[in-house]
Amino acid sequence: MSPLQTPGQVFDAVQQAKAGATGFCTNFFPVELKLQAWIDHGELLVEQHDGAALFFRTDRDFRHFYFCAANPVALEQGMAAVPALKTERVTTDLVGNESTLKQLLPVLEQAGFRWYTQLQRLMRIGRPETGREGRVAGFAERPDCPAVLELIENSFDRYGEQLPLPYEMEAAVENRQVLAVKLDGELAGLLFFETQGLASTVRFWTVAEKFRAQRVGSALMQYYFQTQASVRRFTLWVDAKNENAIQKYRHYGYAPDGLIDHVLANEMIPA
Amino acid sequence: MKSVIEILKEIRPEFDFAASSDFIADGLLDSFDMVTLVSALDKNYGISIPGTDIVPEHFLNRETIEALLRKCGAQP
Repeated sequence: MSPLQTPGQVFDAVQQAKAGATGFCTNFFPVELKLQAWIDHGELLVEQHDGAALFFRTDRDFRHFYFCAANPVALEQGMAAVPALKTERVTTDLVGNESTLKQLLPVLEQAGFRWYTQLQRLMRIGRPETGREGRVAGFAERPDCPAVLELIENSFDRYGEQLPLPYEMEAAVENRQVLAVKLDGELAGLLFFETQGLASTVRFWTVAEKFRAQRVGSALMQYYFQTQASVRRFTLWVDAKNENAIQKYRHYGYAPDGLIDHVLANEMIPA
Repeated sequence: MKSVIEILKEIRPEFDFAASSDFIADGLLDSFDMVTLVSALDKNYGISIPGTDIVPEHFLNRETIEALLRKCGAQP
C-alpha cells in the first residue's frame, strides 16, 4: 500500500478505476476537507489494480477500507491481491437499501468480510418546538477535547461508528460543532453535529453514565435545535439494535428514512 | 414526463430547489440522495445513468443535472 500525498492522486486513482467501467461500484464518497485532513495526517493509503482503486484509512488499531471499481469482478480481483485484507484489522461499509446492496455484499464476503453491525438513518424535517430546559448546555471548548473524546470512545463502538480522532475532535470544537453540559466541573454529556447549509447531522449524542436520568440529554438536544435555526432537514445514523436510542430520537420527531449502512469487518476484528 | 425540479421535490419536498444554485453546498442533496435521484431520473427518462457519472459535479443544480440527462440521451 502506498501513502497518498495529494487529493489529486486520489482523484487520479478513482479516474483510472472509472476508465472503461462497465458496472462502476464504490463506497467512497469523500468530502474534500476530510480527504485533505486524512492526507495531511498520513492516514490514507492506496492499492491500485486493473480497474480497481482500493483505499485504506488508518484509524486507531484498524483500517477503514473504501473502493472504487470498474465492476464487481474487478473489485473481487483487486481485493484478492491485497494481503492486508487478511492480516490486518479492517472494516468497511455499504450504504443503500436492501436491494441495492445484494450485488456487492457477496463480493465483500468472498474477500473475508462478515456482517459486523447495521446502522439506520433517521430523519426529521424542520425544528421541533423546544421547551425550556433547566440544565444549561453550551459549546465545548478546547480544554474539553480530551474529556469529550473519552466520553465518545466509552459510549460508541470504534469499529462500527467512525469515531473522531483527536485532531478531528479539536477541529470540531474549534468549528463549534460540539455541545456540552458540565456538572460539578465534569463533562456530563455531549452532542456532536455537522451542519451543511440547510441540513444537519447528529454524529454523537451521549450522556456519561453517572449523569443519566438528570435531563442532560434533553438539554443538549433542545440547545442543538435552538442553535440550528435555519436547518430544514435533520439526520443521524444510529445502531439499528439500539432501541433505547431510537426511542429517544423518535421523541424528537426523527423517523427511519429507509437508508441502511451495513458495516462489515474482517476476521481479525472480534465479532 | 416530470421535470427535474418536480423529481427533486418528490425526493426532498422540504427544500426549495429553484432557489439554490448549489444543491450540495446548500445541504439540499447529499451523496445518498444522489443515488435515489439517479434511480428516479433513470425511471422517468427511460435511461441508465452510468455509475461513473454519479459524482457531485453533475448534481450541483438544475442545469448540471439537465446536462447530464442530455449526455445520457434524454430530452429534459
